[in-house]
Order: sequence, then structure tokens, then C-alpha cells
Amino acid sequence: MTADAASARPPDPDLNMGLTLIAAQRRANAGHALRVAVVWVALISILTLVLLQINVDPGYLLRRTDILRLIVVNGLGVTIAVSLVSVAIASVLALIGALGRLSSHPLAQGVSGFYVSVVRGTPLLIQLFLIYNGLAQIGTQLIRLGHPDIGRLLILDEISAGVMALSLNYGAYMTEIFRAGIQSISHGQWEAAQALGLTPGQTLWRVILPQAVRIIIPDIGNQFIAMQKDSALVSVIGVWEITYLATRSARTESKYIEMFLTAAAVYWLLTIVSTWAQTRLEKRMAQAYER
Amino acid sequence: MNADLADDDGVIIRVEQLHKWFGLLHVLRGVSLEVRAREVVVLIGRSGSGKSTFLRCLNFLEAPSAGRLRVAGLTADLQPGQRPPAEVVKNVRLRTGMVFQEFNLFPHMTALENVIEGLVSVKKMKKAQAVPVGETYLAKVGLLEKKDVHPIRLSGGQKQRVAIARALAMEPKVMLFDEPTSALDPELIGEVLEVMKQLAREGTTMLVVTHEMQFAREVADRVIYMEDGVILEDSPPETIFTQPADPRTRQFLDRLL
Repeated sequence: MTADAASARPPDPDLNMGLTLIAAQRRANAGHALRVAVVWVALISILTLVLLQINVDPGYLLRRTDILRLIVVNGLGVTIAVSLVSVAIASVLALIGALGRLSSHPLAQGVSGFYVSVVRGTPLLIQLFLIYNGLAQIGTQLIRLGHPDIGRLLILDEISAGVMALSLNYGAYMTEIFRAGIQSISHGQWEAAQALGLTPGQTLWRVILPQAVRIIIPDIGNQFIAMQKDSALVSVIGVWEITYLATRSARTESKYIEMFLTAAAVYWLLTIVSTWAQTRLEKRMAQAYER
Repeated sequence: MNADLADDDGVIIRVEQLHKWFGLLHVLRGVSLEVRAREVVVLIGRSGSGKSTFLRCLNFLEAPSAGRLRVAGLTADLQPGQRPPAEVVKNVRLRTGMVFQEFNLFPHMTALENVIEGLVSVKKMKKAQAVPVGETYLAKVGLLEKKDVHPIRLSGGQKQRVAIARALAMEPKVMLFDEPTSALDPELIGEVLEVMKQLAREGTTMLVVTHEMQFAREVADRVIYMEDGVILEDSPPETIFTQPADPRTRQFLDRLL
């Protein structure tokens, strides 16, 4: 209802009472949010005070903007790029994995079940070493045996190895998310599509997946946000992302707390922004076919 | 064979000794039935009597355990444990339309997109060709003005009418209705039954599982009473509602009317 339409009518006691109650509720909510914010500010202040008691130099990074720029611009850029590419590849793997787990074919079931079990049963760090160092070892061996083309393919640069490890790892966890999403769509949708004459493939692509993806968007978002932090692991093989650059500067300058707190703050801000973006995306997707 | 795809004697659905087991539960115990083209046949019976399962076996949403089916010119002769041939399943589904109790509209598509989905995906029509066809069928159920609306914004009765339009758009030879009004609020049942009555008047071959006895009385050519997985009675409505042959039919109807 527009303001004009409202003012043109005689006062409605029900409407006024409703508006009064809504306003009171909003005031109460705002007061509560303010008090929560005060607690946050207090916690940050206490932490700052504690840190200032020891030999932390808060002005250090402001004097060394070269290091700050390296971490915030270059490091953050690599972290975001690695996470985005990895979550995209992981989603494709997860879709294939989920279809395999839901398939009635023994080969598809076996391969996807094996993949999920092995990857979820081993540490990401070891998977990373196996892909970066282990594959390189096999590649070297193959070159020595006279298969230089295949051999060279297996010797991955740091970024490729990091992306591959993160994708494979998250793909396994996200397989379960995709599977649950597909299974959450009511059986009636399959039946209606079948009764129309759609093939199982068409039913999946045109009827089931569009609905399932919408349901699992929040979970994919959570995985993406978690991956932004797990991507710190690829610093150990030398990918120049936030953690690697912070570690390097910390060592050379002996400024550990300063560097790692900066890195932590960058991750934290990234998470906050991502969470905000995720919430907005969810709201927009919800509008697509809800009241 | 003719335009209805019925056999020379006019029969379009011929079921012989249909059996269905769910595990150890023998839900259809040798059902035999013939439906002629342009007939309206209403199936009644208690819940658990097998009437819905029977209907769902006709387009293979449930795989029959054994028996012989002939639907719109396609035959599946199934020995126990044998699966129906994929080609028969595919073509039977092309030649039958089904309407479900829970509507089962695709929620991410508008009413029109729901109606043309089969035309585009199954009949491989271009979208530009399918749209006018879809609009024709939405108009037929009186919902052309809702074509761009998603199902969530439709009432239950409107949803079911869109679902009927979706099935009709494929121009099936037989329409199967599985309790089409059972999930509707009482005040919304009428609009759906009205559409179904219109289809019956136009000579659509219809099999309807329902609890709407008034509809059966007005529209059906034959009413079939099922109990415990068998057909106990198959009579014109005026007979079954006034002097049912089987005492169990009488008992069922007495409780209902």
C-alpha cells in the first residue's frame, strides 16, 4: 500500500495498533543489537590492550605498507582465486560423485563410494603432499622410463597442485551435500516427469537439479567460506597466498604477532563479506518462486 | 486401429491377470479390466484396496509384478519378475496422461513452463511452437491469465487444473486421475471436477480413482469397486449406487453415503 492510499482513508484503529506494535518490536530489536555490538567492541578493546602490554608494535604495518600491500592485495587475490576455482571444480566433482552414489550401477557406486571414503578418511595436508610431491615423483619416474609427455603432466606447479587437492577434498564432502539435496526433492517430482515421458537424464537436469541446487546453495556457500580458510594449507607447498606471505614476512622481520594477526584479520574480513554476499544470494534465490 | 489407438473392438485398455507384490504384500491379485475408448471409468474402494496401485501400473510408475497389459496399442506381457520393455514404457507414457493427488507441479517453473515442458523435452517442439499450444490448454482449464505465475502462488484447485493442462498438452489417448481432489480444501474441489466433467463430455477416455461419489454418479460410464486387490464389482453408476451386486460394495457405499 502506498502512503497516498493510506492517508486517503479514515484512520483505522487496527492499523494504528499494528504499526505501534511493530515500532515497539523494532525498538526492542535495535536495543538488543546495540548491546551485542557493545560486547564485540569491548572484546576487541580488551584484546588490543592485552597485546599492547607485550612488545607488539601496532604501527609497524603502517610504516611497512609494502608488506601490507603484498598480503592484502596479492595474498588475498590468490586466496580468493584459489578458493573460487577450487569450489567450482569441487561442485562439478560433487555432482558427479552424488550421481554415482545414487546410481544403481555397481561401477558408478563403487567408484564414487571409494572416492568419498578415501578422501574423507585422510588429512587434507597429506592429500596435498601426495598430489604435489607424490605425483611429481611418479612423473619423474615416467620421464626416466621414457614417457616424458605423461611424466611432465604429473609434475604440477604449486597453484595447480593446491587447487587440485582442495577440489578433490571438498568434492568428496560436497558429494554428500549434493546427494542429500537431490534426495530431498519429493518422489512426486520424479513421477510427474516420468509420467510426462521425460527420460531420467532430462528429469534430473530440468526438474530435480534446479530444485536441489537451490536447496544446497547455503551449504555450498558454507563450503566456500570454509575453503577460504583451509586454502591456508597450500602455503606449505609455496603458493603465494595470504598465509604464505604472512609467514615469510614474519620470519624475515621477526614480527610474528603483527603478521599473523594481519593475516587473521584479512581472512576474517573475507569471511564477513562472503557471509553477507551469501545471505543476499539466498534471499534472491528464494524470491524466484516463493510468495 | 484408429485415431484413438484403440483395438478394432474399441478397447483401448486391456488388462489381464495383473499382479503386484510389494515385498510379501500381494496388493493386486489378478486384476482384469477392459476400458473402451471414450469411456469414463471410476475406481472406488477403501484405502489400501489397490486402486491407486492399479492405476499406477497402467503407465508403469509401478512395475507390475506379472500380467498382460495392452494400453493404446502397446502390449507388455510380463512373466513374474520380468521388467516391462523400456520402449513400451516410454510409448505408454507418451500416450497416457496422469494427474496426481499432490499435483506434483514443477515449482521452479511457471504455469506455462509446466505445461510446455513435455512438449519441449519429450516431443522436441521448439519453444515458440509449444507456447501457443500450452496457452491453449491453460485457457481450456480457465487459467490463461495465470500462465506466468509459479505454482506457489496458485491455490490447490488452480494447481490441479494446471496439472491437468500439463497432461492434456501431450495429447494423450487416456487420462489417468489418481485421487485428483483428495488433497484439496472442500471449496476448491468443484473447480477441478468441473474441468474433469468437461473432458468427459468431450469424449476423453478417463480412468479416475476418487472418493467423489457424486462425480462418479454424474460422469462415470462404469464404476468399479475394488477390495483387497481384486475387482469385486463393475457396473454402471445407476446400478452400483442403488442395488450393488456384492454385499461388500453395499457395505462400503453405506458407510460413505
